[in-house]
Amino acid sequence: MSSFLTKRLTYMIIILLAASMMIFFLYAMTPGDFISGNLKLSPERKAELREIYGLNKPILERYGNWLGNALHGNFGYSLAQQKPVLTLFNEYIWNSFLLAIVSTFLTWLIAVIIGVVAAYKQYSWFDTLVMVVIFAAMSVPSFFIGLYLIKIAAVDLKWLPPGGMLNTGSNATGMEYVKEVLQHMTLPVIVMTLLGLGSLTRYFRSNMIDVIQQDYIRTARAKGLMERKVLFTHALRNALLPAITLVGFELPALFGGSLIIEKIFNWPGIGQLYMQSFSLRDYPLLMGFTMLIAILSVIGTLLSDILYRIADPRVKV
Amino acid sequence: MLKKGIILLSSLLLASSTLLAACSNGGSESNNNTTAQNNGDTQTTATAQPLTSLVKASDMSKLPEVSKKRNDTIIVGLTDPAGVFTPYFNQSGYDGNVISQLWTPLVTVDEKGLPLPNLAKSWDISKDNLTYTFHLVPNTQFSDGSPLTAEDVAFTWTLIYDKAYPGDSQIRKLNIKGGKAYTEGKAQQIDGIKVIDPQTISVTLEKPNALALTILGEYVLSKAYYGKDYKFGQLDYFKNLHGSPLGNGAYKLEKFIPGQEVRLEANDHFFKGKPKTKHFIYKTAEGDAWQFIETGDTDFASFTATQENIDKLKGLGFLNILPYTPSTYGYLQVNLENEKLKDKKVRQALTYGLDRKSIYVDAAQGAGAVANIPASPIFWSYTTDGINPYNYDPEQAKKLLDEAGWVEGSDGIREKNGQKLTIHLLTSKRPETDTFIALAAENYKAIGVDLQPEIFADFNAMVAKVEGKDYDLAAFSTAMLTDPSDGIEPFVNGEIKGYNNPKLKELYEKGLATTNMEERKKIYKELYVLLNDELPVIFTNYKKTVYAYNGRMEHVKVSPFIGLSGNLFEWSLK
Repeated sequence: MSSFLTKRLTYMIIILLAASMMIFFLYAMTPGDFISGNLKLSPERKAELREIYGLNKPILERYGNWLGNALHGNFGYSLAQQKPVLTLFNEYIWNSFLLAIVSTFLTWLIAVIIGVVAAYKQYSWFDTLVMVVIFAAMSVPSFFIGLYLIKIAAVDLKWLPPGGMLNTGSNATGMEYVKEVLQHMTLPVIVMTLLGLGSLTRYFRSNMIDVIQQDYIRTARAKGLMERKVLFTHALRNALLPAITLVGFELPALFGGSLIIEKIFNWPGIGQLYMQSFSLRDYPLLMGFTMLIAILSVIGTLLSDILYRIADPRVKV
Repeated sequence: MLKKGIILLSSLLLASSTLLAACSNGGSESNNNTTAQNNGDTQTTATAQPLTSLVKASDMSKLPEVSKKRNDTIIVGLTDPAGVFTPYFNQSGYDGNVISQLWTPLVTVDEKGLPLPNLAKSWDISKDNLTYTFHLVPNTQFSDGSPLTAEDVAFTWTLIYDKAYPGDSQIRKLNIKGGKAYTEGKAQQIDGIKVIDPQTISVTLEKPNALALTILGEYVLSKAYYGKDYKFGQLDYFKNLHGSPLGNGAYKLEKFIPGQEVRLEANDHFFKGKPKTKHFIYKTAEGDAWQFIETGDTDFASFTATQENIDKLKGLGFLNILPYTPSTYGYLQVNLENEKLKDKKVRQALTYGLDRKSIYVDAAQGAGAVANIPASPIFWSYTTDGINPYNYDPEQAKKLLDEAGWVEGSDGIREKNGQKLTIHLLTSKRPETDTFIALAAENYKAIGVDLQPEIFADFNAMVAKVEGKDYDLAAFSTAMLTDPSDGIEPFVNGEIKGYNNPKLKELYEKGLATTNMEERKKIYKELYVLLNDELPVIFTNYKKTVYAYNGRMEHVKVSPFIGLSGNLFEWSLK
């Protein structure tokens, strides 16, 4: 296991280094920079500012500086916000995480239940209905569902707030605060759950269909085990095994924020911050964020490999 | 420039803009008071008529509960405050909006953009127009109660000349005497800045500049607070102060919650008296402004003045609606270094041949007007006298192209010296772009011009392409302009590359060298006639916008030049 880990960690470092180079050069070579969008500047002042911000230096030198600082844990200052990049992450990322973790949990829970039942009752009316609804949900764009829900639940019926994370000007603390946040996150969580549900349900359903046709399930039934036990202990366990690989992919998504959802619901998350930074060419922030996602992806993959090995010792990684 | 304009502008304008109003397309300079009193006609009948004056809320019973309950707070949506709340250092117009509530300037402007005393109760300008002496209102304070004096003003101006100053203040462009030496580190202080007594300060420029009064008359930073760690060439410490501003405006910062809201609280030390409403909140409204104004979560928002928007706003019943024209103009930048566009006749033909009224007025449901000069109709210098309106005239366009030697080829596209008249147009992605491209391509095809559009989703990328000269036409809109010279400057400072007209430069300098309004008016008229004829860019359109605000709000005035901050301290809820 330890040599496995060492090898994996070495790969990780190489991958991250390669990723950082790709990301840096991609951003640095995208036409336009932080200064070019400012309409108030004369050409001379633009040149002066590029000098002050170091944007006129050769690209390799810029990469070297950035990498050197990053290795010391210094991701620099956001150009637009004039704050350390890591401070900004801290201000926004947990809001995204909150939405993502709740909706991921709900998505998995609901997908497993529906998937199992639909597989067990394959081709029944329940199965057909579920598939129809899932295809419908998958084919409607998220912004449409989001805006529609806002119109119905917030604007017309006034049940829930139309966006944001707290009531404007609210000084709520303790349980009041929790209640406000819950109210504000209800709509975005519903949309995110609906969106994730489709593919995952289909995934579990087909895994489950494969598993319940296996010989050992027939054997279990033949032994006279209760159907529920057959389904949820024997079959589900094996059907879930391949899903472990999916867990790793979820990790970057948990911290990455959802651009569209955050924008529609005005949720103060990292996805929005990232989009704004992109249109402004705020390089330090873009680099920092992209590296963060790269790091999380690599860690996620490693985690799922390790988990898989633990869950199924026959697997050699 | 173009679309960025849109983004930047909508940010600038969204929250800060203006109300003024009623400038109909003729550019009538109706003043704000008269239009405001003119309200009450909710019946502004004909749906096709654009709004020209304030429309009062028709049914306050429709006001949402959440808004009824608010008694000491006004909430305005703001796209994306980043938290850099120090004047001269902010990188976005959104932060500029917040700053304009936290600070009050030395000199403000009226609804025509002309200077008015504020923190500087008066000023003297020397005969040679080079030395400005400001007399401050006595005994004013920053929001922590510390005194504001001429020393603070001197500190602020000096700071802008620091070589490490990273912002876009216009003060540097004024060339204060000795400023350059200070920037280069050759002087300990700026010679041209003299503190005469705690209430009086003078500044001397190297050459006259009509904008000096308003540019110098901006915000004052407290020397005791912002200058205590100041060392020449090292301004990094400012980064730690952006989140805890010390201003002298109607409001002071209570709390900034990133991505959510900026909470402001009335400043008891405000020199015009304590504001009438205790709290003012800028709510981050990244998404759709509609949902928040409809549910009463915000009290004030700005919308494009399409008939559809106006009808919908009127239908809500509880909003006052105020039309205004922003101080910007839209244009197609022309690549003048491109051989085929060097000929004035070709540029004029492209203007005659583009049905701008259909594109910018009719297709926008009236939310626009055709532009022919680099000044918005709300400017004191605006004129139509002697200006060619370039009404859509394909025959005239064809004639001009013939004269320029472009003759129709076998495929209907004009040719000259074996080269086809193909126009490569850059524009950015917006809802209006599709209509624009479709109509423009059709218009140009009719006069034998092949239009090849390229649409950018990203503004900076488009700017880079323009800077690389890889284009023929590029669609832009200016940022908010405050003085007629702002609209001319791009033609002089090298931004419009390949345009070098000594006459224009001379007039531009002349326009800045005097502070006499009547004289300036004449000069700008001459400039407009010149630019309207030469068309170094093709002028396209002015936008029309409306402000919608909660019918409970009283004493609301918004200026096209300084946004909400002008009389914010008087805003109240009934």
